[in-house]
Amino acid sequence: MSPTDETEHLGQVLESSEDVPLIALAGAPNSGKTTLFNRLTGLRQKVANYPGVTVEKHIGELRSDDQVLADLVDLPGIHGFAARTLDEKVTKDVLEGRVDGIKKPDAVVIVIDSTRLENQLMLVEQVLELNLPALLVLNMADELKGRGGSVNANALSEKLGIEVIWTNGRTGEGTGAIIEYVARLKDNDSVPSEVSGEIKTSINSQKLPVLESFSKRKEVVKEAVSDAEFIPPEPSAVSGFLDSLVLHKIWGPMIFFAVVVFVFQSIFTWAVPLMDGIELLIETSGIWMSEILPDNWLKSLLVDGIWAGVGSVVVFLPQILILFLFIGILEDSGYMARAAVIADRVMYRIGLQGKAFLPLLSGYACAVPAILSARTIEDDRDRMATIFVTPFMTCSARLPVYVLLIAAFIPNEPFMGTFLNKRAGVLILLYALGVAAAIMTAFILKRTLLKAEPSTFLMELPPYRLPSLQSLGLRLLDRGKIFLLRVGKIIFTVTIVLWILTQFPRTELGPPEIEQSALGQIGHVIEPVIEPLGFDWRIGIGLITSLAAREVIVGTLGTIYGMESADEESLDLQSALQESVSFPAAIGLLVFFAFALQCMATVATVKRETGGWKWASFQFLYMLALGYFGALLAFNVF
Amino acid sequence: MGSEMKTVKDNSTDLRLSHVQLDQEVELVSIDLPDNQAEPLFERGFLPGCRICPVRSSPSGDPIVDVDGSQMALRRETADCLCVKALRDLKGK
Repeated sequence: MSPTDETEHLGQVLESSEDVPLIALAGAPNSGKTTLFNRLTGLRQKVANYPGVTVEKHIGELRSDDQVLADLVDLPGIHGFAARTLDEKVTKDVLEGRVDGIKKPDAVVIVIDSTRLENQLMLVEQVLELNLPALLVLNMADELKGRGGSVNANALSEKLGIEVIWTNGRTGEGTGAIIEYVARLKDNDSVPSEVSGEIKTSINSQKLPVLESFSKRKEVVKEAVSDAEFIPPEPSAVSGFLDSLVLHKIWGPMIFFAVVVFVFQSIFTWAVPLMDGIELLIETSGIWMSEILPDNWLKSLLVDGIWAGVGSVVVFLPQILILFLFIGILEDSGYMARAAVIADRVMYRIGLQGKAFLPLLSGYACAVPAILSARTIEDDRDRMATIFVTPFMTCSARLPVYVLLIAAFIPNEPFMGTFLNKRAGVLILLYALGVAAAIMTAFILKRTLLKAEPSTFLMELPPYRLPSLQSLGLRLLDRGKIFLLRVGKIIFTVTIVLWILTQFPRTELGPPEIEQSALGQIGHVIEPVIEPLGFDWRIGIGLITSLAAREVIVGTLGTIYGMESADEESLDLQSALQESVSFPAAIGLLVFFAFALQCMATVATVKRETGGWKWASFQFLYMLALGYFGALLAFNVF
Repeated sequence: MGSEMKTVKDNSTDLRLSHVQLDQEVELVSIDLPDNQAEPLFERGFLPGCRICPVRSSPSGDPIVDVDGSQMALRRETADCLCVKALRDLKGK
C-alpha cells in the first residue's frame, strides 16, 4: 500500500507502508514528544486504535520537499517497560515488531525533557536495550538553558553510542536535524546501529531480578550524566510559587473547584449557542432542500433521514472541541497533574484514581466528550472503569425527560414544610441516584472484572509550561476528525435506521402513522416486556427512539399523542401523560432513564475508545438491566 | 526543629518516607513492596541510594517529593513503604 493510498483508507486499520522506513517516536509523557510529532507530520497523520484496546495509534508521514521520507508512529508516553500499563506494553510490542499491521520500526527517536535528564535517561536506557538504531532528542533546550542547566551533547552521544541532538519543541528548532537523520536512514547512509558497550552489558541485566536490573541501569545513567557534565537546572521558581498556591491546603481545592466549574460551565452553557447555531443551520438548510426537491420518498430520505442524521452528529462538536481545548491547556500547562493529585483521595475511595475527575465531571454535561477525555488516564483498567461509569452522571440530555415527567407527576409544593420544593427534591434525588450507581459500579468493577494488582499511584509533576498554540490547534483538529469519522458514522447509522422504521410500511398517501409504522409494531411487540413496569406500547416506542438520544422521547411522545411540536414544557403533553401513565409507572420511567444507556452516541464513543464492541455492549446491557429492574422496583413500591 | 528524626531507634532503617519532614533530604534504603508494585517506583528513579526530599504536602496530606530533579506525588500509603535514612549533613538548621 503506497503512502498516497493511505489517505483514502481512513476507516481501515492503519498499516505502515513497505517502501519507506518506519520510525517510532518514543519518550516520557510531558516531554514535548507529541508536539514534535505534530510538527514533523503536520496534518498528514491518521489515528486508529490498536486492536481491542483503548490505546491510540498515531501514524503520520514525514516529508521533505514533497517526498515522503518515512512513516512516523507516535508511541504513547511511558516511563518504562514494566508493562504495568497497556501503554507500556503496546509501546514495547511495537518496538519489538510484535503488533499486527505495523512492521518493526527501522529506528526509534527518543524524545526526553532535557530539564529532567537524569530521570529520563532511565527510560532511554530501556529503549536502547531493544537494540534499534536510535536518535536521542534533548527537548526543551531553551528551558534547560534558561534555568541554568547544561549538558555536553557530544559527550553524551559518545557515552551512549548514539546520535544526540537538541530541539526546542516550541519553536521547532532542531526538527531539521531529525529530518536529516531520517533522510540518512532512508538512504542507509552512515547511521550508527550499534549501541555502546555499556548499554550492551545492561541488556543482559534484563535477566536479573527487577531491582538489580534497575540498579545497573541507574549506574550507567549516573556515569553518562557525569561524563556529559550535566548541570541540572535550578528548580523553577515560578513552578514552585504556583505549586504553593495550587497545592495549598485551602487555596488548592478552591482553585481546583474554580477550574472544574469553569470547564463544566463552558461545556454546559457556553457550548449551547454554538450547538443551537448548528441545529439552526441544519434546520434551515433542510427546509431549503425541502423546497427545491420534488416531494417524494427520496426527499424525505435526504432531508429527514440523512441530513438530520448528519446534524445529530455535528451538534456534538462544540462540546467536544471546547472540552478538548481545556484538556489540552490543562495537560500542556502541567496543571492537570496537580488537579489529579488533589482529586486522587476522593477518586481512590471509589475505586478510581485522580485523573478520573475530569471525565466524571464532564459527564454532567454530556458523556460523549467526557468518555473521550478519559484517555488522559494512564492505567488502562482505571481508564476502562472510568469510561464504564461515566454515563451514570446525569447528562444534560436526561433533563428534558426529567423535567417533563416531574412537571406532569410531581406537585409543585414544598416538601414537608421546608424550603425545599418537591420537584427540586426529586430532581436532586435523580442526580444522586446517578452518582450512587456510578460509585457502586466502579466499586464492583474494580473488585471483579477490572480487578488489578494494587497499583502504585505516582503522579509526576512536570514544571509549569505555556501550552503551544500549534499543538493545541492540531490536537483539536485531530479529535474533531476522529469523532466525526468514527463515532459519527455509528450515530448517523442509527438515526437512519430509526428513520427508516418510521417510513414503512407505506400507505398510498405516504409514510404511515406512527402507530402503524414498523417502529410502532416494535412498540407493540415489546409491550409485554415493559408491561410489568407499567409502560404501554406508546412508551415502548419512546424508549426505542430515545436510543438515538434521550431527549428524543419527548418529541416522540408528542407525536404519538397527536401534538404538533411538543416539548417538555408543553402542558398538553403533560396532561396526556397523566391520563395514560400511572404515577408509579412515571417514577419507574424516571428511574429507567437515570440508569439506562439511552444514547447511541455514547455507545459508539465507548466502542471507539475501547477498541471494540465487547465493553460497549456489556455496558449497554448492564445499564439496561439496571434501568429495567430499577423501574420494576419503583413501579411496585410506589 | 532540629536534625533529629522522629524515629525511636538509632539505626534509621526504620524511618519511613511518610515521616520525613519537609525540606529534609534522605536516602532511600529499600522499598517494602512486592516487585510488581515497586517496579513503577524503580522506573521513576526510586532506587536504593537515591536522594529524596519532601517538598510539600498535598491538601489531603500526601507527600510530594523531589527525586533526581523530578517532582513526584505519592500516596501516603506508598510513602509508608519507602525505608529511608537521614543524611548526616542536612540542609541548614
